Amino acid sequence: MLYEQELKTFVEGTTNFFEVAAQQPASIGSPYLMEGTPSVHEYTGVINISGKREGVVYFTAPKAMLTVLLMKMQENDFSHETMRDLVGEVANTISGNARRDFGRDFVISVPSVLSGEKPAIPQKPGQRSFIIPINWRSHSAKLVVSLS
Amino acid sequence: MSVAGLERRRQLVTAGLGTALTLVMGLVLIVGFRLATHMRAEVTALQAASTLQTYPEEISHQLNTLRDRLEVRAYSGKALADLQETVKHFDQELKALDATRDVDSPQLGRALLLWHEYGPVLDPVVTFSGQPYLDTDSGGSNLSREGREHYAQVKRAQLFAADNAHALQAQLSSLASTLQQSASQAATRLRGLLAAGVLAALVLAAAAGYFQFTRARHERAARDAQEQTRDILKTVREGFFLLDANYRIGSVWSEALARMFGRSDFAGLSFEELLKNLVTPATLATATKYIKLLWGDRAHENLMKSINPLGQLEITMDNGHGSKETRYLQFDFHRVMGPEGIKHVLCSVGDITSSVLLARELQDQQENANQQLDMMLGMLHVDPLQLVSFLDTAETGLKLVNAILKEPARSDAEFRKKLTGLFRELHSIKGEASALNLKSIASRVHALEDMVSECKKRPELTGSDFLPLVLKLDELLAHLRSVREMAARLTDMKDSPVTAPAAVPAVPAAPAARTPAAAEAPRPRAVEDMTPTLQAMADRLAADHAKRFRLSMHGLADVPGPYNATIKDCLIQMLRNSAVHGVESPQVRRDSAKDEAGAVRVEFRRTADGYELLFEDDGAGIAVESLKAAAVKKQLISEEEASLLDTRSTMALIFRPGFSTQDDVSMDAGRGVGMDVVARSVYALGGKIGVSTHPGKYTRFKIVLPAVDSASSAVA
Amino acid sequence: MKLNAAPVNGKRSYKLMIVDDSNIMRRRIERSQQFEELELVGTAGNGEEALDLFRRTDPDVVTMDLTMPRMDGIECIGRLVELKPAVRILVISALADKATAVEAMEKGANGFLNKPFTDRQLNEAIAELMR
Repeated sequence: MLYEQELKTFVEGTTNFFEVAAQQPASIGSPYLMEGTPSVHEYTGVINISGKREGVVYFTAPKAMLTVLLMKMQENDFSHETMRDLVGEVANTISGNARRDFGRDFVISVPSVLSGEKPAIPQKPGQRSFIIPINWRSHSAKLVVSLS
Repeated sequence: MSVAGLERRRQLVTAGLGTALTLVMGLVLIVGFRLATHMRAEVTALQAASTLQTYPEEISHQLNTLRDRLEVRAYSGKALADLQETVKHFDQELKALDATRDVDSPQLGRALLLWHEYGPVLDPVVTFSGQPYLDTDSGGSNLSREGREHYAQVKRAQLFAADNAHALQAQLSSLASTLQQSASQAATRLRGLLAAGVLAALVLAAAAGYFQFTRARHERAARDAQEQTRDILKTVREGFFLLDANYRIGSVWSEALARMFGRSDFAGLSFEELLKNLVTPATLATATKYIKLLWGDRAHENLMKSINPLGQLEITMDNGHGSKETRYLQFDFHRVMGPEGIKHVLCSVGDITSSVLLARELQDQQENANQQLDMMLGMLHVDPLQLVSFLDTAETGLKLVNAILKEPARSDAEFRKKLTGLFRELHSIKGEASALNLKSIASRVHALEDMVSECKKRPELTGSDFLPLVLKLDELLAHLRSVREMAARLTDMKDSPVTAPAAVPAVPAAPAARTPAAAEAPRPRAVEDMTPTLQAMADRLAADHAKRFRLSMHGLADVPGPYNATIKDCLIQMLRNSAVHGVESPQVRRDSAKDEAGAVRVEFRRTADGYELLFEDDGAGIAVESLKAAAVKKQLISEEEASLLDTRSTMALIFRPGFSTQDDVSMDAGRGVGMDVVARSVYALGGKIGVSTHPGKYTRFKIVLPAVDSASSAVA
Repeated sequence: MKLNAAPVNGKRSYKLMIVDDSNIMRRRIERSQQFEELELVGTAGNGEEALDLFRRTDPDVVTMDLTMPRMDGIECIGRLVELKPAVRILVISALADKATAVEAMEKGANGFLNKPFTDRQLNEAIAELMR
């Protein structure tokens, strides 16, 4: 069973990124559960977790949101690579936060970045995931926590 | 100031005072001795001078006597001998005085000069050794030739002496008085010196005394301070020690350390040795590196504090009874700066085991509670078939809950809108769980309901408020799954031919296919008789509400599969409604000449164009006025609206969301959810619901449902 | 411990190298730092690249990410300090656990900044680094 604190650590890692990097806090939408593999947006940053918990946590965002985020960060390069870079950094932040809070119990991988509509995210069959919408400005991304 | 510095200063002052005293006394002694010596010489000289001043007169006198003797030709030998003696003494003593006098005295010089002038006239007289007379028989004695000459010399000397004796004497007398004066001055000086010496000694002694006093006081203060330090170190709950540049612990440490580490040989122990055997090698390595960094000047204190890896150190040690014990220590480090950089590192250690364990315990308790409930559930005697049917319904309900959550929301209003729907679904699941007496499930749903109620009270709803909800929902689903597993085991044990679905559904390797709806669909539905569930529910309700029921059920076996869950939901809700609102207590019923056991009749039958469900109790019925009053109180309608409502419209109120006439919240009613759930699910199936009542006599619900093939599914 | 550098136009100038596998982060650091005396001599996206660039440009100040492909930051710090003991290294990483920070400091880093960071945090960390 996932603890509230664990979920909060991942959520805060994500919202913190927006607040610090773009000086505009993100809010979280209505969270829900999902069985099977949730759909993803164009860009996805994934961290794998093993140890006391097993599974994946990923941040998936649409291109439009990343573009605005980059603008807010005063970037003017909106290439595919930069987008990948950005979701990677978000995942990196989530991973750092998690290491700080659960470093003793979890083994947390270096983030990897996937792009495209149907990327292969390894997921345990029958695993229920927490989907937490991350709303920022008019855009919406998803934080998916899929741990057992 | 440091204690060592104070002590050194004190020693210096003591030595200084001693030296000063010795010097002063030595000086007084030396000067005094010299003064005394000088004075003695002067006194001797004074005596000599006093004696000498009589000599010139004496010499004159003796010369006179000698001349007289010679004139009368008397015996002159004795007079000459006296004169010789006097002159010799005078000459000797005057020269001795001159020799002893170290200071120049003009008087003495002049006296010596005069005496020197005496020499030529006096010498011939004194050195005379011949016979002055010639003795004759006739005329007595006459002067001899030498005698005449001697006589002439005596006369000359006598005349010279008569002229000069006074001057010489005056000089000597003046010398004496000078010496007298000088001696008295020396005496005064000596007295002064002695007095000064005594005074100086007194002052020094007083200073020494004062110093000794303050020193004693300081020592006492230092001793007090030392004692206080010792007391602090003995009683303080934190461990304190200093680390030196070799990462070794100093000689002073607080006794709490002994309790924390179960040892007391800290002095000289290295930090690494302190932690070795208590922590993992990796932690030890990190800790050692950190301590080394503390001694470097690369990182400032704040940075070091922020990367302190020993903020919550887990250590494992023998607890003295042969077994291992895990403790949590919090280390804090502060650099102690000296003039040449870091002097020590002050380390404080707190035992935070209890707070860490408390936090862990809370987590563990939650997990334990879950397991315990599961076990309790295992002991329940619930018909596996009923259970599986319930689980299907509950899961469907929870999926609906999840579907409500899944609706995107950003504003408070959007979030708030979800709450009502969530509540309704949850309430319905809870009702059925209660009916089956599945406490572990009912209590979880109840907790979830509580969370929803809590959310309603929040002023501004955000997604964060829903995080605990979704976690709880996940837990509930997991719990349902484990209950299902258990049900499967029970079924297996009872060797039932009608097997319940496998507990953990076997899922194909490709994960993509599994959506909530897909998961639900393939599950085979057992043809189930709901009568025992309802009977059990009625029994429980009767017990809980101190009422008696006679439940009669007809035709329920004909309920078609798709309607099964809904019909059961509705019946449970209506049963609860009867138990709480309808059927009176046995006492009241007796007083109204009714049978003590309330009669509740359920009938399901097929009609020409569908189905019909009747539910009737012979209870108190529904009083239109109290219904209106309750609706006004709940602010569902205004008083004005209430007065305008006819009976039929008033009755319809009980199907309105949020309506309940019971005030206290129980597992069965009172949350304003109940009949509206029934109505909603009936409408969802394309059916209709109606109510008729007669106060004091009965309440009757009638549900009309369409034929199955035209029904829309509620569980989509 | 003061940095040594040749005065340029009467002002001391330090050579800065930025190491981060993320382009955005590299640009972000470059853009956000407000020290006139820092002159960027190059950026690198992994440890090996950083080492090579370091040999060629001899920077005085380095910002270093830790999680990078082809030689991670920790190892890279060790190598840089071997090459130039006086170099000042600021670790900028999302890794927030203490053991990593201690490890980096032990290898020779002089400061530690957690990602994500604000401009102010970055400038404070650099100021602290050059103190």
